[in-house]
Amino acid sequence: MTDRNPKLLIEANGVSKQFANGTQALKNVSLTVERGEVLCIIGPSGSGKSTLLRTLNALEEISEGDIQVNGHSVHNRKVDLNRLRTQVGMVFQQFNLFPHMTALENVMLAPLKVLKQPEAEVRARAEQLLAKVGLADKAQSHPAQLSGGQQQRVAIARALAMKPSIMLFDEPTSALDPEMVGEVLEVMKALALEGMTMCVVTHEMGFARAVAHRVLFMDHGEIVYQDAPAAFFDAPRNERLKTFLGQILKN
Amino acid sequence: MSSSAKKPTDRVSWVWHGVYALVILAIGASLYFASKRIDYSWHWERLPEYVISTEGEEIRASFDGFVEISEDGKTLTMTEMKGSGRETFSGFSQVLVGQGDLVFQNDVLARKPGIRPGPLLIGLWLTLKISAISLVFALPLGLIAGLGRVARNPAARNLATTYVEIIRGTPLLVQIFIFYFFIGTVLQLSAFTAGVAALSVFTGAYVAEIVRAGIEGVARGQMEAARSLGMSYPQSMRYVILPQALRKTLPPLTGQFINLIKDSSLVSVMALTDLTKAGREVVSSTFSPFEVWFSVAILYLLLTGSLSLLVRRLEKRLAHD
Repeated sequence: MTDRNPKLLIEANGVSKQFANGTQALKNVSLTVERGEVLCIIGPSGSGKSTLLRTLNALEEISEGDIQVNGHSVHNRKVDLNRLRTQVGMVFQQFNLFPHMTALENVMLAPLKVLKQPEAEVRARAEQLLAKVGLADKAQSHPAQLSGGQQQRVAIARALAMKPSIMLFDEPTSALDPEMVGEVLEVMKALALEGMTMCVVTHEMGFARAVAHRVLFMDHGEIVYQDAPAAFFDAPRNERLKTFLGQILKN
Repeated sequence: MSSSAKKPTDRVSWVWHGVYALVILAIGASLYFASKRIDYSWHWERLPEYVISTEGEEIRASFDGFVEISEDGKTLTMTEMKGSGRETFSGFSQVLVGQGDLVFQNDVLARKPGIRPGPLLIGLWLTLKISAISLVFALPLGLIAGLGRVARNPAARNLATTYVEIIRGTPLLVQIFIFYFFIGTVLQLSAFTAGVAALSVFTGAYVAEIVRAGIEGVARGQMEAARSLGMSYPQSMRYVILPQALRKTLPPLTGQFINLIKDSSLVSVMALTDLTKAGREVVSSTFSPFEVWFSVAILYLLLTGSLSLLVRRLEKRLAHD
């Protein structure tokens, strides 16, 4: 990879994915993400946006194509996937916190077991991260004792504990009660302002417009349109996107 | 005022408790009258002796020889018949031989006072011991086989499936015979070892299925979250999946251990004096089969009942965590 642009953190080329039942989830998708860039992916359900996100850290396998993260081919069998994944933080729709551990233990687990860092150091950083997402006082709570918004913020802290170079968000606010969406988006916004590279699959158009550098519209497994947020939302030059935005605005 | 007024549901539930008591009484009474009709003389008084023996410990001769009892009757000396060995005993309460008697090796000379476990209690102890040791081996075996069942590696998965299917598809009694006569002979195992091996392998297969169900019961997102943090499959299993899965498996595992205690009665076919075999032996010396088998059943119930009580407490404590 001598000819690759060092600014590119993610480089996906001609990615296709077919599910076992024959459904074509991704059709020849190509995508690049630069360091420090915030990319929002929107689209109707079933358009393949979550699938695309999940192929970036190989939670989904691909049928064709190539994905490079930090210059390493994610779907190459020879690559050390576990090490690669430490550089790619992921936040899930359903939070997926470990219910048998406290918030603090959730954040500390991977740095301790994967990076084998000393416990005192890990604990100090985990406490800092919980403070950063506004949950310093919930360190000893179990996930069941936390609200959805609090759980999602712990999940963000957990992903950040690995000091990833990119964060993937898979519909991070879709499972939340409306009054809790704001607190999670605030944390994500702060993260974006710090210069974190982010890929966010979302239905929050306000967030995409305010925070994203680039917005990408997917439909039927294809990237249909992408542009800077102002142009994307105010003057979309694509009929499918127009229809989609129209439907959303109606609701 | 409100505390003295009973809710109607309370009254209804008391009615049904009464029905329960009546049914139990009716069954008990019919058993009693049925036994009256079949000319069977009950001898419950014979039973306690076989649970806790007051006969005291027996003193046996360790060689062939002659008996010599001291004048005060407190010491007993044995002189070897063909040799010069001598042996002196004291502290007994009852002498069962006479002055100058010729006795042979292993004859009972005297009895020491005191109580000791009777054959039924000794059998109960063996049942408990063989079940507990089998459980100790069955748990790791079942854990490994259960992990194999959910593994992606075809070799591990097929091996585990073959093991589980073979064990669950054949009767335990047949397995015990195979372990005792075939494997036991080839590897020169004692009856106890063969029994432990058969019960462990048998229970392991059921534990494997319990573990598999527990792992599959953990939400899929848990494994994804763990892997997305860079944890390997074994690390994810160990720190994330298994702690959640094993908590869920506690109730079915208890049930399996209770089954193990009951299934262990089958080892009595290979000359192991467990509670069931002890029951058979006591029947042949008392000729009171009804009393003995009822007692044996109660002893099994004591064991299994206290176990489920223990685990229910443990579950409550885990639930509070």
